[in-house]
Amino acid sequence: MLLTVTQEEGGASLALSGEWTLARIREVDAALGAARLPRAPVTLDGERLQTLDTSGALALLLRLGAAGASVGRTVNLKPGHSKIIETVRAQATPPAPVPRPWGVVANIGYAAVAFGRLVYAHLGFVGSTAASLAELAVRPRRMRWKEFLAQLQHVCIDAIPVVALVTALIGMVLAYLFGLQAEKYGASIFVVDAVAIGSAREIAPLLVAVIVAGRSGAAFTAQLGSMRLTEEIDALQTLGLSPMQVLVVPRVLALAASLPLLVFVGDIAAMVGAMAASGPLLGIVPAVFIERVHSTLALRHVVIGLAKGAVFGAAIAVIGCRAGMTVARDARSIGIATTSTVVRCIVAVIVLDACFAVWLQLIGR
Amino acid sequence: MNAIEADAVVTRIGGRTLHDGVSFSVPRGKIVALIGASGSGKSVLLREMIGLLRPAEGTIRILGTDVWHTPEEELNALRRRFGMMFQDGALFSSLTVAQNVATPLVEQGLVPTHLLEPLVQLRMAFAGLPREAAARMPSELSGGMRKRAAVARALALEPELLFLDEPTSGLDPVTARGFDKRVRFLSDELGLTVFLVTHDLDTLLGIVDRAIVLAGGKIVAQGSVDEVMRIDDPWLRAYFDGHGT
Repeated sequence: MLLTVTQEEGGASLALSGEWTLARIREVDAALGAARLPRAPVTLDGERLQTLDTSGALALLLRLGAAGASVGRTVNLKPGHSKIIETVRAQATPPAPVPRPWGVVANIGYAAVAFGRLVYAHLGFVGSTAASLAELAVRPRRMRWKEFLAQLQHVCIDAIPVVALVTALIGMVLAYLFGLQAEKYGASIFVVDAVAIGSAREIAPLLVAVIVAGRSGAAFTAQLGSMRLTEEIDALQTLGLSPMQVLVVPRVLALAASLPLLVFVGDIAAMVGAMAASGPLLGIVPAVFIERVHSTLALRHVVIGLAKGAVFGAAIAVIGCRAGMTVARDARSIGIATTSTVVRCIVAVIVLDACFAVWLQLIGR
Repeated sequence: MNAIEADAVVTRIGGRTLHDGVSFSVPRGKIVALIGASGSGKSVLLREMIGLLRPAEGTIRILGTDVWHTPEEELNALRRRFGMMFQDGALFSSLTVAQNVATPLVEQGLVPTHLLEPLVQLRMAFAGLPREAAARMPSELSGGMRKRAAVARALALEPELLFLDEPTSGLDPVTARGFDKRVRFLSDELGLTVFLVTHDLDTLLGIVDRAIVLAGGKIVAQGSVDEVMRIDDPWLRAYFDGHGT
């Protein structure tokens, strides 16, 4: 029994007993909720109260306040307990008014403005990257070769095994898929055309871009994001160095240079994979396969694939760096920014690829 | 009974002996400061006291429980009886200030929902945080506010003992003295025992009841601040002289 209420003239007497602590706050609150509290000052009797902490005192004061009662007089209350009640009463604040939620229209408006600002800021970043590149063209000595080469090593050389493996497997799968259909028409040799042109123009650039978005785009965001958290980017600026020149430009150039190289690796690997599959499956021996590639794969298909690679690379680098430079200063946001970089890069690459397809169609290539 | 008793604590880190038989005690209801030069292992000692780092030898008793010779369950029960403020707050960065303070209460599952917000508000008021701070994210707070929010979180479960790691480091003198007053308030009004690691001479002279001095892997002095000031030790003399007394 934590609480005994005795009604008396002009109010009531509350006899508290036992432990009024955080550990038993539920029972305390339930006892107070069940009690009939008068709308008048009450007398607190603390004779049998063993322990009281600030949580217990707060529960008491809140329930009394809600009933319109207050502490009028105290009897037998230990000095320590009355001090806690006094302290809590002095510090407890009336509940804050709940802010009115926005209406639907206001929400749409705020979201639209926020989206507009985001697009504006992204375009600003693309613009300042372009400006930094132009500055580099005028003053080539500003180029940071060491950073560029380090990035090249990381994004290009280190990525060759995974790119070669993935594109070779996809080349095999394509040869198998096309082979099953083409064989029905006795047109097995056209499998070579499909794989060679398809992988050089579309499959290799797209696959490589997706792999690089996951590998390097995410890495750029994480690197720049943690540099922002530790104020390294601010430090660069304070030293009179431009973060764009030091961090962004070498990464953009490295990725724009690496992607065509990786696409080339992908082209070769896809054809090797297809060649390996079409021998046993379709009876096309390697010599015939290579001969057919020679006669059917025009150079322009390869060049288009490589050029697309360079554009994809620059886009991935800009998106990754931008996301890294804008992370909020907390641990969670780096994770969110890294994930969203990968998604945005893949979407951007596919949108760009569609644009290329339409444009190349228009100019008749 | 003492709130903290350390007996012959030895710490070795990477083959180097950092503490060579450290013994001291902290009486209940007092504000006790651990001082010592940078690198003397104050923060390491603190981590050993709150159960994060095991000392090589010796015993540490917190509120009567031997921290390093007790089953994990009892250690967790003990952990609910003290609060710790880390140097830079160590607030959960994805939660608002109010959610940070509410976390221990919610995790314990003791509190009825309608009492949660008032309890959080009370803890924030104890720590001297304005009510507007409740909805802010830790990344939007100043250093002083972050420390106050960390104190509010440390107070969530009604601790008997509060550990503070460098409570005034990185704060301007006005904010630092305000923080000191809060600590004194908590000790006086709520009867908390406060154990703090500090470099701040003004904190030491302003609010601290007892000081413990760690130097060269040993406790060279412990007692009231006046007693400690009279001890003839080269580091202590340099420390107090630097204040221009």
